[in-house]
Formats: sequence, C-alpha cells, structure tokens
Amino acid sequence: MKEEKQERATEDRSTRQTESQVGTAAEELCATIARLQRLQAEFENYKKRVSRDLEDLTERVTDQVLVGLLAPYENLERALLNYAEDRDVDALAEGLGQIIAQFAQTLEQRGVERIPCVGEPFDPALHEALLCVPSDEARNTVIEEFSPGYRRDGRVLRASRVSVSQGPETREETS
Amino acid sequence: MKEKIIGIDLGTTNSCVAIFEGGSPTIITNAEGERVTPSVVAFTETGERLVGRLAKRQAITNPKNTIASIKREMGTDHRVHISADGKTETYTPEQISAMILQKLKADAESHLGRKISKAVITVPAYFNDSQRQATKDAGKIAGLEVMRIINEPTAAALAYGLDKEREQTILVYDLGGGTFDVSILEIGDGVFDVRATDGDTRLGGDDFDQRIIDWLASEFRADTGIDLSKDASAMQRLRDAAEAAKKELSSRMETTINLPYITADAAGPKHLEKKLSRAKFEGMIDDYLQRTFSIVDATLREASKGPDTIDQVVLVGGSTRIPKVQQEIGRRIPGKINREINPDEVVGAGAAIQAGVLAGEVDEIVLLDVTPLTLSIETLGGVATPLIERNTTIPTEKTKTFTTAEDNQPAVEVHVVQGERKMAADDKSLGKFQLTGLPPAPRGIPQIDVTFNIDADGILHVTAKDKATSKSASITIKDSSRLAETEIDRMRKEAQEHTEEDRKKAETVEARNHADQLIYTTEKALSDLGDKVPSAKRSDIEDRIRRLREKLDHDADLAQIRQETEGLAKAAQEIAAEAYKQTEGAPEGAAARESTDAGDDAKDDGDYIDAEYDAK
Repeated sequence: MKEEKQERATEDRSTRQTESQVGTAAEELCATIARLQRLQAEFENYKKRVSRDLEDLTERVTDQVLVGLLAPYENLERALLNYAEDRDVDALAEGLGQIIAQFAQTLEQRGVERIPCVGEPFDPALHEALLCVPSDEARNTVIEEFSPGYRRDGRVLRASRVSVSQGPETREETS
Repeated sequence: MKEKIIGIDLGTTNSCVAIFEGGSPTIITNAEGERVTPSVVAFTETGERLVGRLAKRQAITNPKNTIASIKREMGTDHRVHISADGKTETYTPEQISAMILQKLKADAESHLGRKISKAVITVPAYFNDSQRQATKDAGKIAGLEVMRIINEPTAAALAYGLDKEREQTILVYDLGGGTFDVSILEIGDGVFDVRATDGDTRLGGDDFDQRIIDWLASEFRADTGIDLSKDASAMQRLRDAAEAAKKELSSRMETTINLPYITADAAGPKHLEKKLSRAKFEGMIDDYLQRTFSIVDATLREASKGPDTIDQVVLVGGSTRIPKVQQEIGRRIPGKINREINPDEVVGAGAAIQAGVLAGEVDEIVLLDVTPLTLSIETLGGVATPLIERNTTIPTEKTKTFTTAEDNQPAVEVHVVQGERKMAADDKSLGKFQLTGLPPAPRGIPQIDVTFNIDADGILHVTAKDKATSKSASITIKDSSRLAETEIDRMRKEAQEHTEEDRKKAETVEARNHADQLIYTTEKALSDLGDKVPSAKRSDIEDRIRRLREKLDHDADLAQIRQETEGLAKAAQEIAAEAYKQTEGAPEGAAARESTDAGDDAKDDGDYIDAEYDAK
C-alpha cells in the first residue's frame, strides 16, 4: 500500500512536470507567433512607407525639373511682349536664339544628349521609323529626321523620329 | 528558397509580367523601363530578332518581317513566313508567341536575379481547347513549364480578391487597345465558372485615337485647305497628340491640342490649335461605346442574368479609364464597380496571384489586417493628432509624447478618436480616460507618453504614462478595426469632401496654439530677465502681447493672428539676443531663446504637441 501510494505520488509529480513543460512550450510558441506577427506587420508597414517615400521623391524630382523650365518659359513671354511693342523681327530672332541656347544648356547640364541621326544606320533602339522611301542612300540608312531623339546616361528618353532609306533597288523588288 | 512562378498576361497588343512577392503581386519593369511590352516580334535583315518596343519602332521599314497581334492566330494553322538572307523560314503562331514569352521571361529573370522556369499564363475566356493548348506549347518552346492557363477575367477577379468573398456573380468588362471582351463569372468556394463571354476582336482604344486624328485632320483641312494625311511626320504628331488628349479627357472636362509648325505653305508656317471637350470626344466614340454596351446586354441574356443579379463589375483595359464607360456601366448595372487597380496591369497581377497560390506562397502568409481608418487623440484646440495612420498593417504599436497646456495641470484627458477628419469632434469617438495625479509643473514640462497598441485581433490598448512619476492609465477598445465597410466608405468620403475646410480649421487652431505658446514663453522670459530688458522694449512687447491676446479672444482670422504672432516673435528674439549680449551664456538668456525654439519644434515635427487636457 505504501509503495503504491509512493508510486502514485511520483506519477503525479511527473505528470505535473510534463504539464508545466507543455504549458511553458505553449506560452513560448504564442509569444513567438506574436513576435513573428509584429515583425511581419512591421515589414508590411515598412514597405508602405518606402513606397510612399518613393512617390514623394518622384514628386520632388518632378518639381526640380519643372523649376528648370520656368526661366526659359518666362523668357519666351518676354520675347513675345517685346516684339508686340517694337515689331523688330531681328531682335525677336536673336532673343529666341538665346532662349534656345538657355534650354540647350539646361539639357546639357543634366546630361541630355541628342541622338545622332541622319546618315547613321537605322537602329530601332534609338530611332523610330515613320517612313521608308526609296533613295540613293544605302538601304536602312536614316535619311531624314522629323523630330530629334534624346538620351541620358545610355537611356533613351525619346527615340528620334525618322525616315529610312529603302535603297535604290527596292523598286525592282516591288514591281 | 522556393522556386518562383511568374504570372503572364499574354495580350493581343501588349503583354505584362508580374510576380507574387511578399504577399502581393508586383509588376515587373522590362529592359526598356516599361511595365507593359508590345506584343510585336520582328526579324531584321541582319538576322536579329526584336521583341516589344524595338520591334514596333522598326515596323514600317520591315513590314513583311514584323508580326503583330499573333494572338489572333493562336490554335490555327496560320504560318508566318520570314525571308532573310535569301532563305525563308516558317514559324507557327506558337513559336512567335514563344518569342514574346522569352523576352518577358528574360526581363523577369534580370529583375529577380535568378532563373525562372514556371509560369501561369492568361488567355481570353473564349479560347477553345486548341487555342489553350497552343498557348501552353508556346510556353514550353520558351522554356517555361506552364503550371496553369487561366482566363483573363478570372485573373482580374483574383487581383481584386473576389474569390475570397461570398458566392457571387461578376461581370468583367475588358476594353483594351485593340480588343473588347465581356465575361460573366460565377464564384463559389474559390471556384470560378464562366457563365457567358462575348466581345469584338477589332474594337479598342486605338479606334478612339483614330477618331480624334480624323477630326483634327478634317478641321485642319477646313481651316487651311491643307491635307495632312500625306505628311508622315505631321500624322505621327497628330497620333501622339490624339492619344494624349484622350488620356487628359479622363480627368479634365476640356483639353487643348497644340501643334505649332505642324506644316507650312507658300504663306508661311501653319499651327494647329484645337479645343476638345470631354462631351465632344464622347460623342465621337459613342457608336463604339454603344456597341460594347449592346454586347454586354447580349452576354447578360446569354447567361440568363438580369443586370441586377450582377454583384460586382471589374474593369480591365486602359480604355475603361474613360469616365463615360464607367458612368454608363454604373447606370446599367447596380453592382459595385472595381477599378482601383491599374486596368492595364490587373490581369498580369491576377496571374501572379494564381502563381503565388500554386507556389504555395499564399498559404504561408498569414493574412494580416489593416486599420481601416486613422486612430488619433484629441489635442489642444480640438485637433485630432494621429498616432496610427489608416492602412497600417496590424499588430502594431506607436508612442508619442505629449505635454500639458496649463501650469500646474493635475490631470490630462486622453480622448481616442477614429477617422480622417482633422478635428476630433468630426471623427468617431472610441473612448476617453484620465491620467490623474500629475505633480505641479509649468505647462509644457510634463512628458506624457501615449501608446497605441493594436494586437493581431484588432483590439486597441491605449496607455498614457507620465514619465516623471511613472503613473499610468489605460483603456482597451475592442472594435477599432471592425467597422462595416459602408461606414468606412462614408467616413472616408466625408473626409474628402471636407478636406479644405478641415485643413483651414486645423491651421487656425495651430496658429492659435502657437500664439498662445509664444505669449506664455515671452511673458516668462520678461519676468526671468527682469530689469535686463530696457523699459521701452518691455512696454513694446507687453503692448504686442496685449494686442495678440485681443485677437485671440475675438476669434480674429488666421492672417491677423499670424501677423501679430510674427511681430511678437521678432521682438521676443531681440530681447533674448540682447540679454545674451549682456550676460554671455547666462541661463536666463537661454530660457528666452528656448521659448521661441520650442514653439517652432512643436509645429515642425509634431511629436511633442500640447495636448488639450482639462485642468479642472
């Protein structure tokens, strides 16, 4: 009887011990899950903040670019205003020339360069073909620039719009 | 790391690739920096293969070997013959499509920095088995194992998470660059069933551009007698201007099309300037739009559905940005219209979600809730000062430090409100509590940390703790994130409607608080400095304080309060500077300087704000 009692007591003790271990493990698991959730939520909120910051930055960069446009814009207004008064065509042309130079300077400062065009081989990475006409120039040579293209840091801002030579021989081909 | 699966919207005019990343789809930018890639393939004379924008740019020089809209030929025995270097090669539509897929795959690989070998590809709901098989084969040729082919309208619905909602009927209206599709889907238990689908494979945004171009050209001919249609350069400028005008008319009622030096005749240069109103544009394309609506009606009939049985509409394709399209659909179908996701990208995004599900990524993510509205506390002057902005993922915790507004204030009241309005009274009150037993101190000295802690179940615990005494008080708010959607919508709408008025109110309160703070600190500086302030200066400042106080008492307007505040601030700075000169580095001088700084700080970072706490 005594032994039995003792045995039961030992059993009870070990059950209690296991129970408390399970309890601790469960608590730890809950705490870990909670921490994980916090971390995940923080990451989500971080992503949101980054994308908001990026939008902000885009707006600010746009602001800067627009500020660069204001001076030439105002100068154009001045040119027209002056012309309205004095009707001096030469002075107007001179003024416009200077405004263009100002524009060109702004573009150059920001690393914008014109894409070489007429006489170059047609390259769809740089040029957009609007027309393809027979000519004495070699086939696939750019023969006319309708509007210039620009690039900056190797990125094409806008492709040149061009007319491309079909070469002299195409007439026979089509007939 | 698990293998990533990409989602591809392989379109007739444009294609788009996306990936499921960190719980949401991300559109991948291509090598040219664009989020969509033209579905055009070209073979140059030198044997080079071009795909996308570059292929499009050279199309006119190489029409025979440039292939667009190959999607229309999928599953047919159409063959593409390419002759280069005297040899003729023959390609199947699958092979051409594979070239587009290869580019999208390569762009995705360079974006992710690793190999991709699996994809989910979308097809129109009307595609038959052989067209679907052809699409699968195209994937295989491109080196992609096609894990699943899904319908474009299904992808669009997935992008809006509609599969997770209750059983319902959805209409997808897809008006793209060159094609129009409408589909009616039934969703139940996450399974989509296409009830009916119809469309017009030759109707889209490009037709709308053409109407504007034709109108501009005919107006110009009427004005000047010059026919621009023979002038390639002028026509390209018209095309660009027409597309830009169309886009602008989605957000404005009228636009001006300005094309200086469009051409010239013997009399000199000619400029084109035309105003186009939204109404006129809508009139120009009305027959096209009516055609889409009659197809919608026919599709509804085919599905044996009345317009009122449609629970939700999903808009796909760039042309659904046209307000008339949205209005007309809204008028015909009473269900909710989904158009928040970029309509050019929504199908690609949906494909990426399906890819995420197949890769097992969606299961791994415990979807976390977000706070639907901003949670704030009421501060001095009744302003709602936000602690947790709306759309913040929970669980989260934020603490801000506040202070008292009166000298020897024994208690503060923390009033928790929810909503987007600037004034606390206009927001929804969630609860309030007091933190009492603050030791006597001048205003602005006590530091009270207010902490908002929202747990994963959306339960908000607010605690206020006085740093000096460590005394704290708190409240638990159960249903901070469990608002009905209609109520959230209403509150957001109200906030939008009152933006300007709320901003003005908050600005006025801020200016008043600033003025009040300045008066307080200046008076304190005057008494601290004592006779170090020349009497003329002192009376000038006292006079200014009296005037500013009068303005405050009589609810003067913002400009007057600001003007008086500025005058006083300047005068106060002068005495501080002078006091400094007299006793260099003396603490009295420092006090005066601190006073003006403190006022600015409170305005700038917003982290240390006088809270309006009842001193009673």
